Amino acid sequence: MKPEPRPGRRVTEVVVLTTAMLSFISFWRASAIVLCDLASTAWYVGGIVETAIGPAAPWFILGVMLCAAPMLMLYVEGSSMFVRGGVYKVVRESMGGSLAKVSVSALMFDYILTGAISSVSAGQYLAGLVNSAFPHLNIHWSVSPNLFSVVFALGVVAYFWRQNIKGIEESSDKAIKIMSLVSVMAVVIFAWAAYTIWSRGFRWPSLEVNFTHESLGWFPSHLALGRLGLLVAFGHAFLGMSGLETLAQVYREMEAPKLKNLKRAAAVIFVFALVLTGTISFLSVGLIPDEVRHTYADNLLSGLAMSMAGPHWLLLLLQAFVVLVGVIILSGAVNTSIMGSNGVLNRLAEDRIMPDTLRHLHPRFGTTHRMINLVVALQAVTILLCRGDVYLLGEAYAFGLIWSFVFNAAAVLVLRFKDRAKREWKFPGNLRLGRHELPLGLAGLFLLVLAVGLVNLLTKKVATVFGLGFTAFFFVLFLISERLNKREKAHGEHREKFNLRSAGDLAIMREEIERPNRVLVAVRDPGNLYHLNKILETHDAETTDLVVFTSRIRKGLSLVDETVSMDHDEEKLFTRVIEAAEKHGKTVTPMLVVSNEPFYAITQAAQAVGATEVVFGVSAKLSTDTQLERLAMTWGSLQKDKQPVRFRILGPGVEHAVDL
Amino acid sequence: MAWFQKKPTETAAESPKTTPPVRVGKGLKVASILAEDTILFPGEGHDKAAVLQTLAAAVCGKAGIADWASFLAKVQEREQGISTTLDTGLSLPHARMDGIPGILAGMAVLKKPIPDPKQPDLAIRVMFLFFSPNKQDAFPLHLQLLRGVSSLFQPALIDQLTASSGPAAALELIKKLEA
Repeated sequence: MKPEPRPGRRVTEVVVLTTAMLSFISFWRASAIVLCDLASTAWYVGGIVETAIGPAAPWFILGVMLCAAPMLMLYVEGSSMFVRGGVYKVVRESMGGSLAKVSVSALMFDYILTGAISSVSAGQYLAGLVNSAFPHLNIHWSVSPNLFSVVFALGVVAYFWRQNIKGIEESSDKAIKIMSLVSVMAVVIFAWAAYTIWSRGFRWPSLEVNFTHESLGWFPSHLALGRLGLLVAFGHAFLGMSGLETLAQVYREMEAPKLKNLKRAAAVIFVFALVLTGTISFLSVGLIPDEVRHTYADNLLSGLAMSMAGPHWLLLLLQAFVVLVGVIILSGAVNTSIMGSNGVLNRLAEDRIMPDTLRHLHPRFGTTHRMINLVVALQAVTILLCRGDVYLLGEAYAFGLIWSFVFNAAAVLVLRFKDRAKREWKFPGNLRLGRHELPLGLAGLFLLVLAVGLVNLLTKKVATVFGLGFTAFFFVLFLISERLNKREKAHGEHREKFNLRSAGDLAIMREEIERPNRVLVAVRDPGNLYHLNKILETHDAETTDLVVFTSRIRKGLSLVDETVSMDHDEEKLFTRVIEAAEKHGKTVTPMLVVSNEPFYAITQAAQAVGATEVVFGVSAKLSTDTQLERLAMTWGSLQKDKQPVRFRILGPGVEHAVDL
Repeated sequence: MAWFQKKPTETAAESPKTTPPVRVGKGLKVASILAEDTILFPGEGHDKAAVLQTLAAAVCGKAGIADWASFLAKVQEREQGISTTLDTGLSLPHARMDGIPGILAGMAVLKKPIPDPKQPDLAIRVMFLFFSPNKQDAFPLHLQLLRGVSSLFQPALIDQLTASSGPAAALELIKKLEA
């Protein structure tokens, strides 16, 4: 309902615009998103690695899972430097745009394949369960595993496509539910395995490495001995580390305190993946008899379930449970791949590498739906092309993963020398020599992943051929797109995309704000957001909503004729606001009001949202006293109730607070 | 200001009519800082400057301040800045003065609205002038008064004031509303 017009009323028409509200997630949710991909490898990594390198597979899988710790630390250092980080941003800052495009092209290959391999693998698990369950249910049908897995995979991709269109809160909610279920399964499996070991004993996997002709690829067999042989075997187990890049992509959405939560998430991810994947790999080799283990190469966890101590019918139920959880977590990996690749493409689009039209926000959910559509379409095409062949996907897999790690490690290492600014957090293993610091830990990690990457180039033929082809394709695509974008408009600084929605009336805003306390921060100058940053540092996001407000002042008829769109300066202002909110990991509700008087606009907006505190920056034109006087007058003139309010003016060395 | 510096205690000592310091807090009553002789009903033909001058003289006169011109100069200086006229029809000129012990206030009710030269689209129907002590700890009180007065003088009250018969009736209306 519009306010009753009165003669002389300064604000007769108000158009309220809102932008996509930022929402932030806890470290548990961020961990769950990454683990959906990282932990899902437990369902297939054991079988694939044992096929490639023999019974020593669990030791190498354990080595790779331990290696996840330094990789996670690498991502923590990179993310602490760039809120909107990830491999593209870090590589671009350190080694330039071309190498960044190469690294991200390789990474995109990995994301597309993650979606495909996870969903198809889930389909295969389910098809296996269906085919083994039907005879027990007197159903004399069977499903074609490959056809079934393709149809199932397409269904999973479609489901998570919809969830991601709705936004990260929706998709992270699914991730946390999935990981809760996986945790329950892990507890059941570990307890049951402990009972089995107690009753039957346990045989540790041997350290014997047996390469096949296929697993050596182009690598000379006579060189696959000693340390080089260890590296080849290690390279085969590396696919167990998929999903880490997504941690950097969700860092933007991580709630405050950001870095602390990032470290917590990294710790949770490491411990969970190590315990789940590592333990399951050892249990599989230690408990599944050698003579039957090869029959479970594609579904090792089913084999593990069936090799436990207990009655057959109970083991069948355990197998069904393990398969169902596997189907769910593998489906969750699809979600992670969509989220991660969407984040990566967003970084590219912000840099005008991708067409600007791809950054268009969904009118209802505010998500970059066109990018999500693109990723999902590519995953669907890959699923159709592979025709349910998990082996083919597995062979091609991990190319992008290892090379994105190589580029990332190199980039963070180079940045240590190129950008000597103080880091919020550093990868450990730094040797100080006078004024200089040698990042020995980082250098060691870089050399390790580089060595694995080079060895994998030779041993994983399918991955090398398809990976290079796909990377070249994406690289050229990015290059052409960048050129076209540059031709259209001069390269400028990043501008956030906003959803503009006319609220019609300020009163509607109150309904959109949930928390009991509301603070309105008035902003105008993108170069003067000291007060906003100060408020973001201290405000409690659990109990307080923060409305960041600016007014566009128009006089006379231009006020009435104003169209709902943002001009260049407003875009710049709100881009800085969003960046500040992201940096602090706290949600803000950005708001633009068109009015003919700034103090009326602020007052009306603050009273409409029920603000108990109104915060200003120091004005270049008005003294703080004059600002407060005018605001007090306007506040009283428009106030309908007797609710107390606090006015604050914050600036470097300036802090005034008045309670009225 | 010079007047106060030369004779800092004269005003209070010489004038038995000096307004006692007013404690204005959350229970602020606007009626308590007004008196019938500081509520004016100027006739037609006055502009904003003239009404302000008359009102400043009346307020200072009531407080026993002879040098009302310096008070007027200060409030005029403030009027040069951001507008003090609200769209409700209330004009709220104010100034923070050295040497006064409390709030000094007066009101002019304009039967015929006058334009605000700074904002010609706004009509002034009531002018409420006040001076507050120029002390840092008195500034919240100053702001509370600005908020309180602008909250009280809504169009409905202004309509009643302009229709009232004189200062006594006007003061009664305010008291009634604040009761």
